[in-house]
Amino acid sequence: MAEAVSRSRDPGASAPHRDYSMFDAELTGAVMNLSLLRRLMRWMRPYRVTLAVSALLVIIASTLQILLPVVISLVGIDYIIGGRTDGGTPDMGMVDLTVAISEGFGLPPLLAACCLYVALQLAWAVTVHAHRMTLITSVIKGLRDLRLDLFRHLETRPSSFYDRVAVGRVMTRVTNDIEALYELLRGLGTLIGEFAPFLVALVIMFSVNVELTCILLLALPVIAVVTFYFRRATRLLFRMVRLSVSALNQNLQENLAGLQVVQLSRRENYNYARYTDINQRNLAAETKSMRLETAYGAFTDSMASIAIGAVLWFGGGDVVQEEMTLGGMVLFTQFIAMLFHPIVVLGEQLNVLFRAMASGERIFQALDWDEKIHEPASPVTLPARLRGEVRFRYLDFGYEPDVPVLKDVSLTIAAGEKLAIVGPTGSGKSTLVKLLGRFYDFDDGRIFLDDIDLNRIHSRDLRRRIGVVLQDFHIFSGTIHDNILTRGASPSSDPAIDRERVVAAARTVNAHDFIAALPKGYDTRLSERGQNLSQGQRQLLAFARVLAADPEILILDEATASIDTETELLIQDALRKLTARRTSIIIAHRLQTIQEADRVLVLDGGQVAEVGTHEELLAARGLYFTLHELQFQETDAAS
Amino acid sequence: MIGSLLRLRVFVARYRGRLTGGIAAFALARVFEALVPIMLMIGIDRLTEGNPDILWPVLGIVAVVCARFVTVSFARMAVRRAGLLVAFDLRQRLYAHLQLMGPKFFGRYTIGDMMTRAVADIGLIQRLISHGTILSVVLIFASVVGFAFMLSLSWQLTLLIFPPLPFVFLYAWKASRRMGLASRAVQERLSQLGGRVQENLSGIRTIQAMAQEDNEIARFAGVNQAYADAFRRQARINSVMSAVLPTLAAVCSITILGYGGHLVLTGQLTVGEFTAFFLYVNMVVQPFRVAGFIVSLFQRAAVASDRLFEVFDRAAEIEDTAPGERRRRIRGDLSIRHLDFTYEGASAPALADVCLDIRRGESITVMGRVGAGKTTLLKQLVRILDTPSGTVFIDGRDVRGYSLAQLRAQVAMVPQDPFLFGEPVRDNLTYDNPSRTLDLVWQAADAADFRDTVEEMPEGMDTVVGERGVTLSGGQKQRATLARGLIRHAPVLILDDCFSSVDTETEEHILSELRRLRRGQTTILVSHRVSTARHSDRIVILEDGTIGEIGSHAELLAAGGFYAELERIQREGADPADYAAAAGSAG
Repeated sequence: MAEAVSRSRDPGASAPHRDYSMFDAELTGAVMNLSLLRRLMRWMRPYRVTLAVSALLVIIASTLQILLPVVISLVGIDYIIGGRTDGGTPDMGMVDLTVAISEGFGLPPLLAACCLYVALQLAWAVTVHAHRMTLITSVIKGLRDLRLDLFRHLETRPSSFYDRVAVGRVMTRVTNDIEALYELLRGLGTLIGEFAPFLVALVIMFSVNVELTCILLLALPVIAVVTFYFRRATRLLFRMVRLSVSALNQNLQENLAGLQVVQLSRRENYNYARYTDINQRNLAAETKSMRLETAYGAFTDSMASIAIGAVLWFGGGDVVQEEMTLGGMVLFTQFIAMLFHPIVVLGEQLNVLFRAMASGERIFQALDWDEKIHEPASPVTLPARLRGEVRFRYLDFGYEPDVPVLKDVSLTIAAGEKLAIVGPTGSGKSTLVKLLGRFYDFDDGRIFLDDIDLNRIHSRDLRRRIGVVLQDFHIFSGTIHDNILTRGASPSSDPAIDRERVVAAARTVNAHDFIAALPKGYDTRLSERGQNLSQGQRQLLAFARVLAADPEILILDEATASIDTETELLIQDALRKLTARRTSIIIAHRLQTIQEADRVLVLDGGQVAEVGTHEELLAARGLYFTLHELQFQETDAAS
Repeated sequence: MIGSLLRLRVFVARYRGRLTGGIAAFALARVFEALVPIMLMIGIDRLTEGNPDILWPVLGIVAVVCARFVTVSFARMAVRRAGLLVAFDLRQRLYAHLQLMGPKFFGRYTIGDMMTRAVADIGLIQRLISHGTILSVVLIFASVVGFAFMLSLSWQLTLLIFPPLPFVFLYAWKASRRMGLASRAVQERLSQLGGRVQENLSGIRTIQAMAQEDNEIARFAGVNQAYADAFRRQARINSVMSAVLPTLAAVCSITILGYGGHLVLTGQLTVGEFTAFFLYVNMVVQPFRVAGFIVSLFQRAAVASDRLFEVFDRAAEIEDTAPGERRRRIRGDLSIRHLDFTYEGASAPALADVCLDIRRGESITVMGRVGAGKTTLLKQLVRILDTPSGTVFIDGRDVRGYSLAQLRAQVAMVPQDPFLFGEPVRDNLTYDNPSRTLDLVWQAADAADFRDTVEEMPEGMDTVVGERGVTLSGGQKQRATLARGLIRHAPVLILDDCFSSVDTETEEHILSELRRLRRGQTTILVSHRVSTARHSDRIVILEDGTIGEIGSHAELLAAGGFYAELERIQREGADPADYAAAAGSAG
């Protein structure tokens, strides 16, 4: 039996030092990381054919885009108006094509050129649309897959993971960070769309006039340097703006959430002054960043116009000396936008790219997070119904290697028994029941469920047999009905039967009356945090949910907060019905619950201190007696 | 729509000069921009005539570009700054206004809703001023100036270019409206997706405990797919729009090429003018791409404006009936006379004909079922609810006769929900008066049994608590808020169910501290526990908004009513089955 349960432990899993802080770090921006892109491409692989088509289409579309000004300048101005046939400038066959159309259909050359222009324009529209759609569709699909994989991965991380990380931070992985990858891939797509025409235009310009092209290219470093410094400056400013905006929102949010306290403490004016201060800081940061952006925008616009002057100045001489045609020069003025725009776009996209790199890195870190519960290689098939006997044997456990939480716990809970666990804070009460649900791996000692070693049962099979009621009832978005009959609690195909089950469960645990009193009864939608229910009502709902699932074993962490006496009585009664003929383990805080248990287990410092009935333990005058005195003296003194 | 936007004029009026200056500068900038093609045209025409003297046209371009740079920068900065300033003012106004709101307001609007108005709606109005103004001004001036220059070159060609433009505008408008709808769908799906993740992660323990992972993953896959679909739809609309718009605009280019080319061939147009036409068409058509965007900016800002004024239009919930009244010491005699109170929209009154006298120095515990009116009653004493006049008196004077500052400074209330600000512990405890000495703070912490908790924190009293700091348990939060109430040594102290998450032993200690500290001062508690109530001078039992029983612990026990029953249940535990059966048959 011993070897049957010895789990194969991969060496990495036992490494105790995991850096959970990565889930808390602020996004700062990382360097270009090619291995990251390569890894990202793995999710794009299923769509590689579409992506290849898209790449082909962008080349065609760029060429068509380039040909449009060629028709106007080289065909229109040079061939038709200027009457030049030799050209000498590479027109990519546009002149010949115009001649062919003109002769084939008997049209005047000007009309033929117009027809050509229309055809090119339409072809461009179709290819560019096809290019964008193929690209974006594969990106959307690839990231959809990545997001689902990430979600699946996070959904199956063990409790030890969620003990250590803040949910909000993990959540940003699935939402914001994936969004940033969209931006990244879309940004790359945009850059391709910008640079493809840039390169095609460059080839034509060089073949038209090398000297003039070189002169225009001189502007690129200027724009690049200005763009670089501008982006660097704005990165800092944007950060300041972001910080001040989030400070603004935080302040307002908190002021509203605590408004009653604010008013009761007469802090209105003081808080208003503080808010004004933040608001002013925000205004200053926004103004600065706005000024910079405006200046930069006007600068890039101006560069394009200046370039027109440059073409005229430097190209003019060539035209007069007949080294370049007039159409060639006009063509240059029309290519200017294509030449400068990519740099501006690159500048715009760079910040996005860097941010996305950081996001990607963190997504993959999360995906690489291999912390998990070790499942048995060949899990046992559980019988249709367990009897529910639980045996703990020499159980030792600690979350950290050197800090034991449970020490040598041995205990047998008979089938159908109701056991209350009590003990001071930190005595290991909740750890013990968590191990029973296999929320943590344990190696020292065993737990048997109806004589089956717990480590040989797949955690998912196990958890279908164990019902857990935590202190706080978690509400799933949906109606009360949905919350009682959780998905997968083998709902039948007939909604009427489902509803009967739900009502029956709610009735048994005394939840029916308050539910029926709600305007929409069982179809009432619960708000996310359940503010429309009182704490006692939430407890009753949790009971109904677990009763509907009908598990063989019940684990309950009793709520500590005091609830009004009447609801308290309803809860006690429901608890009695819930635990009837069901092995129940209750971390108890209420005297009534303890008194009604078959036995009481007293834990102290991770060890079993005492076990017995309430009366036996009181009589023994041990730890239980002391705890009882401390906690319940008031009510006892009165009796 | 116009009406909603016009209401904003009070906020915009202060920056009228800035805005008109900016708009005028934009008009000037368009003229400079339009001069570039003219210079180019002169240059080209000289070249076609074989005249190599193009120095002046080139210098002209440089000069015009510089002038344009200056005017455009000035114009944009002026207008955008106006937008920022208006947003600043709106935020200030909203913040100040929200501070005057109370339970009535927040019963109707959620905090999330107010945050949306503060962030998104003000943002929309700012964008309308900063971008909407600029874009519409550019659109108008570009058209006017562009057409004026074109007309001066060739009226025949200009007239031919004009007809397609309305169609371009119409298409742009319609397409970007579709685009707006699609973007909203994407946003909605995204927030659904976020909600799904949030819900899953916060309930991960329950989900795993109930082995619901596969179902949840399947559900998520559905939401994920829906988001991808919406995203793709939006991308398609965008892609079609950016393919169709230039194609429609190309009609103009073809007209110039065909008819303009004909004019050149027949000598009615020069090559330079021909080239300039292409540039002008571009200048006129470009702004059209955003026509729909501009319209939607106006529409959305109008809605945003309505939503903001909806808040601004609400009067302060609790009117400060005696502001600036001179300072006087409250002694602590309370008197409630025939107090009725009904919440807005409620059918039954929350309090009905409540009469109660509380002498200075007395300690009172208010008990009763959930919804019996306990909190409602206590809130009248500090006017968190709008107390009717002539019903609640402090030291014989109507509470409405005190200024709110006076009243709330001397009647301290610790609300039921233990709210802490994301600030250091010390700032939380001295929230009403940050100038208190550390000594006083520790004394209050001692009295509330909060010292140990603070000492265990990494930075003691300077530890930041809340979401961005150390998370406290419910009991710890309650003790912190208790300390915040105790530190004030107010003549009247009201504790609204402040021990519910504190264990009985700790509560006992705090209660004895309370008795010591509050000697001779009025203290009112709300509790469910008989163990809390028994030490009070008198116990008030509220039943459906009226006083059911009143008296000392012994008196009420002897009376054998609700309180006596409560005491019996809490002492020996009733048989819950009997109770549930009784409640069931009653319900």
